[in-house]
Amino acid sequence: MKASCIKAITRKDAVAAMRNKLIVLGLFAGVIFAVMYYVLPSTVEETFTVALYDGSSSQLFPPVSELEMEGIHIIFFTSGEEFEKAVEEGDYVAGIALPENFDSQLLSGKQPTITLYFKSDVPESVRTSIEYFIQLTIEYVALGEQPIDIETEMLGEDMAGKHIPLREQSLPFFLVFALMMEMWTISTLIVEESAFGTMRAVLVTPASPSDVIISKGIVGIGYSLIVVVSILILTQSVRGNLPVLFLGIFLGAIMAVSMGLFLGSLTKDILGSYIYVAVPMLILILPGMFIFVPDISLSIVKVIPTYYLANAFGQILNSGAGLVGVWKDFLIIAGFDTVFFVLGVYALRRRFS
Amino acid sequence: MMTTDGEKIIETENLTYSYGDTLAVDHISFSVEKGEILGFLGPNGAGKTTTVKMLTGQLVPQEGWGKVLGFDVAQEPKKIHEKIGVCFEEKNLYPRLTVKENLEFFVNLFGLEVDIDPLLKRVDLSKWVNDRVETLSKGLQQRVMFVRSMINDPDVLFLDEPTVGLDPISADAIRNIILTEKKKGKTVFLTTHNMMEADKLSDRVAFINEGKIVALDTPENLKLKLGKRTLKVKMRTEKGFEEETLPLRDPETPKRAKELLEKRNIATIHTQEATLEEVFMKLTGRKLEQ
Repeated sequence: MKASCIKAITRKDAVAAMRNKLIVLGLFAGVIFAVMYYVLPSTVEETFTVALYDGSSSQLFPPVSELEMEGIHIIFFTSGEEFEKAVEEGDYVAGIALPENFDSQLLSGKQPTITLYFKSDVPESVRTSIEYFIQLTIEYVALGEQPIDIETEMLGEDMAGKHIPLREQSLPFFLVFALMMEMWTISTLIVEESAFGTMRAVLVTPASPSDVIISKGIVGIGYSLIVVVSILILTQSVRGNLPVLFLGIFLGAIMAVSMGLFLGSLTKDILGSYIYVAVPMLILILPGMFIFVPDISLSIVKVIPTYYLANAFGQILNSGAGLVGVWKDFLIIAGFDTVFFVLGVYALRRRFS
Repeated sequence: MMTTDGEKIIETENLTYSYGDTLAVDHISFSVEKGEILGFLGPNGAGKTTTVKMLTGQLVPQEGWGKVLGFDVAQEPKKIHEKIGVCFEEKNLYPRLTVKENLEFFVNLFGLEVDIDPLLKRVDLSKWVNDRVETLSKGLQQRVMFVRSMINDPDVLFLDEPTVGLDPISADAIRNIILTEKKKGKTVFLTTHNMMEADKLSDRVAFINEGKIVALDTPENLKLKLGKRTLKVKMRTEKGFEEETLPLRDPETPKRAKELLEKRNIATIHTQEATLEEVFMKLTGRKLEQ
């Protein structure tokens, strides 16, 4: 390896890439992603529809018309069967079930037990609001403070605190997408060297295949950083643990570069290379896309390397996670990086020799 | 014509390379001395490019060995690359870079600080120095490639069809540069289809056919040994012109020539040298430009 050769090839690739209209367009992906980010809703749903079951036809519990307040819409059920079905199917963020002897317990000064059912992704703040709403209602009925027992049942995995506006949820997707786009930049730079026959000319100079591979990697990582940082700046999302965030970006960039090296070795045809890149790119951005279709089981996407990247970005940016929170993701990404890099370098060296 | 001092700059012994079952280069042995221009001639698929690829370290010989400047082509290709210049047949420049950027890139690869302007002037390229290569004609691109091969002031030049696609004036300029480099003691391995060019530039010529060197000598010796000198007579007839070629070594030729002269209708008469093309055909039964 020669530093002067690496420097020369890197500089040449950077200039050549800047004159490739498609690659330059790729640099503007950051702007496009930022626009998409601002189009997405920035707040969570604020009106909740709640199911209320009163099996004892309570005379004391106020009618629905008196109970409804800003942010809470109540649907009254008289059939326990229908109530359970509706709550289980997730049509309502919460279900409120009054006990059968609600009136008598309340009149005798006993502590009635009201059961609340919540969908798993209901934010903690909403749960607290609904519990507070019940408490207020009972105080209203009892004309004063009345101890009640509230039982809470979660329907599915507890997602408290994880309710994040779609805009913020989409950020990991945009970052992964931007990083994986660099696969295409790298593969284009390599395929062009073959298509234009310039690789032969370079390899009869002091430059070695390793110099070429390292230079392409540097250009790829540089371009990844430009696009990703522009997304973070334009979306005003430079937050969280920045060293950990940039470590994640770096690991993602290495993954894209390694894949680009491998894919670039598969063909000498520039147009053909676009197809070779398109398929893996679509697969690799899939984990980020799953935030838009949350009902699909995440276990399917866990086999895709970028799942761990998207997950780590989400944790860092939206939950304030540090290295402790994402080290497992980083370790898995680093493992994939190693495999892809070895594969890419091996394929490319075979191609060049 | 040869200005050698006996130092072998290129040497091969039983150099062999196959692509699968196809034997591209079949145990060839030859040497080129310092300051010599070796013309390497053969039809397409004869093994010329494979030989050049082995000598320039792009392919590792499967049998035999080759040395350039004393370095083994298989073991020390990077030491060879420091001191050679290669001009490829196919156009392999960076199309989106300018002429200057293309050449400076290669200057940087060699870690040199070279003023490219004098080189550009030698091939009349100064006018296009800031033009992108993709906007240049094939002939201009060929000139850029030739300049690129000389950017590191190489001891050995491997030139594959260096004048293809050039106008006669540019081609002559490049041929003159090749001869100037030879005078400076540079060794040139010249691959070409152009027989006139090979004849004019080469100290010796190697004919390669089906992977084997079938003849290796000076152009004069090859023509004398294997060619046929002729007397070409062009006569006026009622229908136009008629041509007759008489072999000079044939004992019947003087008699026939006298007969033709007596008819007094001769338009032109001249002797004709054998060409390398004819020599190659005699040796292999094939045309060079097949």
